[in-house]
Amino acid sequence: MKRFSQLAIPYIVWAALMLVLPMALIALYSFTNQGNSIIAFSFTLEHYAKFFTDPDFLLILWRSILIAVKTTIICLLLGYPAAYFISKSSEKVQNLLVLGITIPMWINMLVRTYAWIGLLSEDGLIQRILSIFGLGNTELLYTEGAVLLGMVYNFLPFMILQIQTSLSKMDNSLLEASADLGASPVQTFRRVTLPLSLPGVINGITLVFLPAVSSFFIPKLLGGGQYFLIGNMIENQFITVGEWNFGSAISMIMAVIMMLLMMAVRKIEIRNQGGKEA
Amino acid sequence: MKKSKRPFGKILMVLMIVFFYLPIVYMIIFSFNDGKSLTHFTGFSLRWYQHMLDSQDMMEALYTTFSIALLATFISTVVGTIAAIGISHSKKIIRDLMEQVNNFPIMNPEIVTAIGFMLLFITFRIEKGYATMLLAHIAFCIPYVMLSVMPKIRSLDPNLADAAMDLGATPWQALTKVVVPQITPGIVSGALIAFTMSVDDFIISYFVTGRGVKNLSIMVYTMSKRVNPSINAISTLVVIIITIALVLINVGPMIAARHAAKNRSRGGKKKALGAAAAMICALAILVCFIRIGGNEAERPYEGQTLHIYNWGEYTGENIIKDFEEETGASVVMENFDSNEQMYIKVANGESYDILVPSDYMIQRLIDEEYLQKLDHSQLDCLDKLDNAVKGLPYDPENEYSVPYFWGTVGIVYDKTKVDIKDLENEGYNIFLDEKYRGEIYLYDSERDSFMMALKALGYSMNTENEAEIQEAYEWLVQCVQTMKPEIVTDEIIDNMAQGRKALGLIYSGDATYVMSENENMGYYMPESGTNLWSDAMVIPKTAKNPELAHAFINFASDYDGAYDNSSYVGYTSPNKEVMQELAGEGGDFEGINAYIPRTDNPNDEVFVYNEDTKKIISNLWSKVKIAASNAE
Repeated sequence: MKRFSQLAIPYIVWAALMLVLPMALIALYSFTNQGNSIIAFSFTLEHYAKFFTDPDFLLILWRSILIAVKTTIICLLLGYPAAYFISKSSEKVQNLLVLGITIPMWINMLVRTYAWIGLLSEDGLIQRILSIFGLGNTELLYTEGAVLLGMVYNFLPFMILQIQTSLSKMDNSLLEASADLGASPVQTFRRVTLPLSLPGVINGITLVFLPAVSSFFIPKLLGGGQYFLIGNMIENQFITVGEWNFGSAISMIMAVIMMLLMMAVRKIEIRNQGGKEA
Repeated sequence: MKKSKRPFGKILMVLMIVFFYLPIVYMIIFSFNDGKSLTHFTGFSLRWYQHMLDSQDMMEALYTTFSIALLATFISTVVGTIAAIGISHSKKIIRDLMEQVNNFPIMNPEIVTAIGFMLLFITFRIEKGYATMLLAHIAFCIPYVMLSVMPKIRSLDPNLADAAMDLGATPWQALTKVVVPQITPGIVSGALIAFTMSVDDFIISYFVTGRGVKNLSIMVYTMSKRVNPSINAISTLVVIIITIALVLINVGPMIAARHAAKNRSRGGKKKALGAAAAMICALAILVCFIRIGGNEAERPYEGQTLHIYNWGEYTGENIIKDFEEETGASVVMENFDSNEQMYIKVANGESYDILVPSDYMIQRLIDEEYLQKLDHSQLDCLDKLDNAVKGLPYDPENEYSVPYFWGTVGIVYDKTKVDIKDLENEGYNIFLDEKYRGEIYLYDSERDSFMMALKALGYSMNTENEAEIQEAYEWLVQCVQTMKPEIVTDEIIDNMAQGRKALGLIYSGDATYVMSENENMGYYMPESGTNLWSDAMVIPKTAKNPELAHAFINFASDYDGAYDNSSYVGYTSPNKEVMQELAGEGGDFEGINAYIPRTDNPNDEVFVYNEDTKKIISNLWSKVKIAASNAE
């Protein structure tokens, strides 16, 4: 068995080069100055200082987190009931529904987001439907609402599938036992179903929140050029402004914030499991 | 049990399915639209499919997307499985460490991973292109494969392989005959995840690509600014490919299971793998099918490649095809949407044969020695060009550049919504006139936005005075905070052609197009002056085929090439004959004042490059955009 462990060596080298080194480079750029070459660099904290002392940058960061939180909440509120319904269906229907939700995920994200432009634009289908209810002329495209919609649309399937997986793994006899012991359906849901589905919920939150915070093509396509999130800011620094050191600093800030948030979420999960065991 | 009575759940599911499929169905329907509109269906037609098949760019993007996905899936599945087996037999400390490392691409925001790869390739001077995109895809797919293979290995009896070897199997046999078959379901699902991730990827591909290599996502991202229904057509094609693949995957195992039941063999899983393999083969064949293009007889540059880095939507309909037919070379075109974006790529050593930057950027590229001198013995086109675009200050002898398009910057306005008197009285300050709040477009270009602000304040657009620049910055901030403008690039063209807003800052060539589409539109250049710009073809020092580049410069400046470019794009041709013909009687742009650049206003200027000013303006402009975003 021992000799199989040697199979890991090439990958360890590869991972050091392709996974660890890039992160190290971002860190290096973010703490150094001058140019896009690592030959002549000097240590500095000025890029971080620049970010944290400018209220405009902080506001962008705050707004990015806010819209990601909104997206996550909406996905949870829509996704949980949907997942619950799916997991309660017969196996055949279940497979069909899961397939139905999976297929759009296979179609390119950019393509799906692009399709919304036509739907939301002036005189588009949605506006025409709205005008039947006397809500014509509401501007839809290039608003924050459009960005939110785009994010929910793109990330909702992750939430549903994660929760559905954990719900369908659940042993039905637990629910029956709970009912037999006199719990009302609401009590059963709160005391049994919800805690058991929590790992799925947490995975779902991670899978929605993470891409939502850093997304930059959804704001660009549906929010228009004047709609800026932290992802757009990073893109802008690298693609048009050319201040890579500053761009790297923003990337580091974002990576660290995400890491902290994920650790907090994990902690909730662990505490929850610990509580059950005790 | 009580399955039937869940009306709420059913309604929710139906709504959700509608929500998920509405955009897809809408897209498929509009791919058959006769007209160009994305909102009004005017009749059935296959023209956008024809357009798509004719567009080499789109077919290449399709090929790139699926070939990278297949290769990345295959390689990452093999490597990931081997690595997972190896690591699960390693010491605990290595196992834990590798788990953390593998979490990098999974747990990091994708844009951070993307930037990491980009910095890696640039630091080690690896030319960005197909290979780097493939490497990056493999790198981020492997952790997902391992994630799905690992649990299966853990649930294996660790003595199994030892037992096999005790019975005389070689380690290789133990691995392939004993271990792998047991973990096949994990491998298959890992491969599927890898494929999905790769096909769907945009952010990472966007940052690590180069030399005009683009996948579908990048193509949609760069083309989405102008209405282009062929995107719907190619998307429909993708939907069909993916649906067939999914049906194969889902139906394959079912048939296999049925067979397995009949034969009472354990072949089910193998069959599943077989089905997946069949699907991959089918896709591969499709990809090859797309790849096969025409091959013709001997021509001067047969088999050579010309890399052009040009603005988006900046070439005529036929010029590239005609050039390829005449010379036998193939053209790879990459697009940028700002000079700055182009500069960064060139400065990072990416190689192109031709660039089409603007005046001030050419000056910068000359100053920083990125360009090579043109070989005038290979050029026969300079005499055909208008004198007003030759010998401009950025390149007085045209040693480095041959003009491609030229024009002015001005205000496009809807004559039915804007009083011409307001324009005449206020000039650029109309962008601060609250009467037009919510009715304006700004252009996402630092130099033109600052040009507008500086001219509105009565300064030179080439000012180096920081106080004046600061004042212009405040002017722009006031505009974005009080006027609710939309900051756009090429989107302005279709939107103004449809009369969506009253006013916008625009390039004369785009205004020409808008005015030829919608007669209510006018073009106004304030008396306080404007930017007299020109974009020109240059050859960077890193060019791999300068000779072919010269041939293209001649071709694009000659009557046919220039006519095709100018009549299709709407920008003013530097070719005298073409310009006069298009603006003259019966020409495409007869009576459109935007087409002929103004050359008699003393306040008009040509942009001059100054490194310090440029840096200040660049930072301030990104702050203006942030202020605009925060003003919402």
